[in-house]
Amino acid sequence: MFVVAPFLWALSTSFKDFNSVTGGATYIPWVDFEPSLEGWRVLLRSPAQGGVNIVEPYFNSIAVTCSASFISIFLGTLAAYALSRFTFKAGFIKNSDITFFFISQRIMPPIVLSIPFFIMLGKLGLLDSMVGLVMVYVVLLMPIAVWIMVDFFNKVPREIDETALIDGCNPYQAFYKVVLPNSVPGLIVAGMFCMIFGWTDFFFAFILTFTEVQLLPVAIVALNSSITPWWSLSASALVSVAPLIVVAFIVERYLSKGNLSGALK
Amino acid sequence: MAKIELKNVAHSYSPDVENPEYALKKCNLSWKDGGRYAVLGPSGCGKTTMLNIMSGLVTPSEGTIKFDGVDITNMSTAERNIAQVFQFPVIYNTMTVAQNLGFPLLCRNYPKEVITKKVDQVAQTLGLENLLNLRATKLTADQKQLISLGRGLVREDVAAILMDEPLTVIDPDLKFRLRRRLKEINELYKSTLIYVTHDQNEAMTFAENILVMDHGKIVQVGTPLELFERPKTTFVGYFIGSPAMNMLKAEIKGKNVVSIGDTSFKTGTDLSKVKSKNIKLGIRSEFVELHDKNADNCISVKIDKVDDFGNFQLVSARHGMSPIKAKVSRDLAVPAGDAWMKFPDNRCCVYSNEVLV
Repeated sequence: MFVVAPFLWALSTSFKDFNSVTGGATYIPWVDFEPSLEGWRVLLRSPAQGGVNIVEPYFNSIAVTCSASFISIFLGTLAAYALSRFTFKAGFIKNSDITFFFISQRIMPPIVLSIPFFIMLGKLGLLDSMVGLVMVYVVLLMPIAVWIMVDFFNKVPREIDETALIDGCNPYQAFYKVVLPNSVPGLIVAGMFCMIFGWTDFFFAFILTFTEVQLLPVAIVALNSSITPWWSLSASALVSVAPLIVVAFIVERYLSKGNLSGALK
Repeated sequence: MAKIELKNVAHSYSPDVENPEYALKKCNLSWKDGGRYAVLGPSGCGKTTMLNIMSGLVTPSEGTIKFDGVDITNMSTAERNIAQVFQFPVIYNTMTVAQNLGFPLLCRNYPKEVITKKVDQVAQTLGLENLLNLRATKLTADQKQLISLGRGLVREDVAAILMDEPLTVIDPDLKFRLRRRLKEINELYKSTLIYVTHDQNEAMTFAENILVMDHGKIVQVGTPLELFERPKTTFVGYFIGSPAMNMLKAEIKGKNVVSIGDTSFKTGTDLSKVKSKNIKLGIRSEFVELHDKNADNCISVKIDKVDDFGNFQLVSARHGMSPIKAKVSRDLAVPAGDAWMKFPDNRCCVYSNEVLV
């Protein structure tokens, strides 16, 4: 009920026109109000024709989220494997401290990071650019990847690595030929979390970009002008949620296969 | 195939602290090429550490290891060309049975045809030929363990196959057959087999030579018969044989005579050089004879209990406070209450400070 109702409300709102939204609550199409496709049409029209610009931010969002997630997973997995398999020691700093250092990045409220990030990107000339955004998102997403993957690698038995070594792999081969294929479920979970956090972030996208590179959440909020176009706002909200729903279904399918267990015993 | 030598090898998992605790105390050993060995000892006595040192998963904190005279102490596991089977089957989940078996060859860049041929061969030996195209996750525990083993056998040139309690997860009937197959494989491929176990029956039936370890120290190396008849320490006597060896507190009374209380025993050992006061007389329950009259080398006992095991009777008796057990033929009528037990002199082992004289 609580999950589906807002979606249904948004769905029905996206088919309403001005009067059916502002004139009190209406529920059933064709009975309570006459459905109109205006809210959806606006999304596809170019601004010059009176539409809203949502297509470009959409692809910007996809590009930024995917590349940031990919880089985070790539670096995060390597870091996590090292943290799970080798012992590091520098004075009082041990493996668990390093892992905590990664996670601690997420403890800070984003607002604390926003000003330093703004200044840093400004100095590097990367404000309002894809590269700058990807860099910031990697900082935000990699801790999630490290955290999930350390936990996952800790559950992959060490004997698997050892057997691979005995079978003639060098440590790198043991990692990508044996341990990594065994960790695909973990990679998928980590990837999904990165995608979700990256996709839904509004704060940094809002602060670090202006006009050149607009991400979807920012673009959606920007629809809100002197008149709030509830219908197109609802339609674009649904469109922005769609990829996450697809991702969630794929992941759920995959996880329920039970691929997580069975290497030992 | 190689002769493996350990020279002054010792290992501690925390070598930096003062007075480090050694998981494996300093030892010198050599394993004959093509031999079939068992390493026997209670849990935590350093068996696995020893195996891991040989396979290269652990670098010993002291000493050197040589394969055929070549120092390989700092060589990587892959370069050592060794096979190791762990207690629990390790399989590569994402691969099929055939891929699992062929993986060691793939890692060493063998051509495809050779891999297929070898994999077929090994699958045949292990009875896995019908499962080759199955995903490895689909198999039962003992089939998985066969795969782990198969990965060791697929390379014929391995220096040795090390097995760390490989049959723990396998049920008794299959265990027996597998053990026999391991023996056959050893004879067929002439590969050195080193088999770690804490089960003495497994060690006794499998190995030509057994190495008994305790607290990181190698206590005795010998054939099953030697371990049984002349255990080098009281620990080996207790650990091997079922029931454990009878151990009785004794005193030295002459050149080859000891006494337990008032009873004197002739032994086959020259005791003239023994100074210690901590003397024990050990005898296997298999060698203890039951008599109804006193005679030479006999001790009076009180019989507590007789257990019929079908093929023999186990007599539990006491002399004073010390228990003595005897295995006797099931046809023998065991007297109730008081009786005499004879310790044949050539079967008596005398221990001074827990070490065989």
